[in-house]
Amino acid sequence: MVSRLNPAWQRRSASSSRLAEISARFRDDDPAATPGNNVCRAIPFLLDTPEQQWITDELSRILTERGHPCTLCSPGDVIRVEHSPATRQTGAASAGDAYSVLAVTCPATLLESGVDHVVLPVPASLDGIRIAYQRIKLLSQHATPEIGIVLVGPRDQHAAWRYFRKLAVATLRYLDVPLLNLGFLPEQVGPGQDAQASHGHHFLTRIGERLLHSGFYSTVTITRPQNNT
Amino acid sequence: MKLKIETAETPDREQLRSLLLDAADQIAGAGASILEPRLRWDGNPMLLADAQLRPVLVSFEPEDSEAALINGLRGVEQLHNALPWINQVYEALQQRQQPPRLVVVAREFPPGATVLGACPGLRLYRYQPLSVNGEVALCFEPVDLPPAARVTQESAPRPDTTTLPQQASNDILPPLSDAESAYFQQL
Repeated sequence: MVSRLNPAWQRRSASSSRLAEISARFRDDDPAATPGNNVCRAIPFLLDTPEQQWITDELSRILTERGHPCTLCSPGDVIRVEHSPATRQTGAASAGDAYSVLAVTCPATLLESGVDHVVLPVPASLDGIRIAYQRIKLLSQHATPEIGIVLVGPRDQHAAWRYFRKLAVATLRYLDVPLLNLGFLPEQVGPGQDAQASHGHHFLTRIGERLLHSGFYSTVTITRPQNNT
Repeated sequence: MKLKIETAETPDREQLRSLLLDAADQIAGAGASILEPRLRWDGNPMLLADAQLRPVLVSFEPEDSEAALINGLRGVEQLHNALPWINQVYEALQQRQQPPRLVVVAREFPPGATVLGACPGLRLYRYQPLSVNGEVALCFEPVDLPPAARVTQESAPRPDTTTLPQQASNDILPPLSDAESAYFQQL
């Protein structure tokens, strides 16, 4: 299957210039985490609408079920991105690795967080991919993160592929940004359903596995408020 | 055109009101309309009508989220009690007598946000002021809900998916070139 995909599917290798660019961005950061903070692997999601949070909620739950403790965190929790390309390159996840899913709807918030990976759930419609393209265009005007796409609501796999190809060709042609196809959630899968009982669980599990196996995460330092009391 | 995005200073109350009025579609859903401030409510909230002609009370404070929440709860209770009268005052509601919704906006979430955020008819947002090429804009973040609460909220009766708030950031997305626009004309 993979062999016949458009080159846009292929994940961009981390070039030395790109690594240098990221390195420069955080050169002045103090690498030592302060007590009370913890370093973990964050999977940032740039949601199309706040209502897509069910995707990150369910994904977090499924990853936890599969032995990768996963929490949800807000943009305010992320205080620093660790520059650890070696960790990213190894890719493979091992059981027990902890993750945090970071869900935001605003590209600017994401840019401020400085994450170098981002997943975009994209509605399967012409408007949906056009807006996704514009958001990628905005991200590409700064330090472009690695971008993974999840198509939301296509009729079937063929429809998902058509939408992904349309978007990926555009980002390659006009922005020189390759995309990673992380999968899709068909139209039957939505919020409020019992993902355990439905095949939504199956699709989300596949997306989670792809994320982890491809090392699609940013290593970040998370700080939790000392409780709002 | 290059976009320069920076964090902006927290706006004062009137600036925030003005920015929220501009973002009515984002906080009350597409097709929302602004209702004139003919009546006085605690905390001077804004009153909107969403696409389903349901009144939406927007209670906001630049910093004090607790005040925004309390004033909003007071206001929405007054609104609920005076619903027939409200429908007479505002012709835009077309006498539908629909129960009001409450939207609370502040710099941070109020205490208990994760619990309250699951309530149908209540939306909590925190905002981040951004300077986009020198123009102040707001970026809204909804409250993070635990999965169980989200399921409860999702299963609650909702007017229509067209009222779902869109991210304010869509307003600042870069424009498409002619070639890009042509490319996205069809699938």
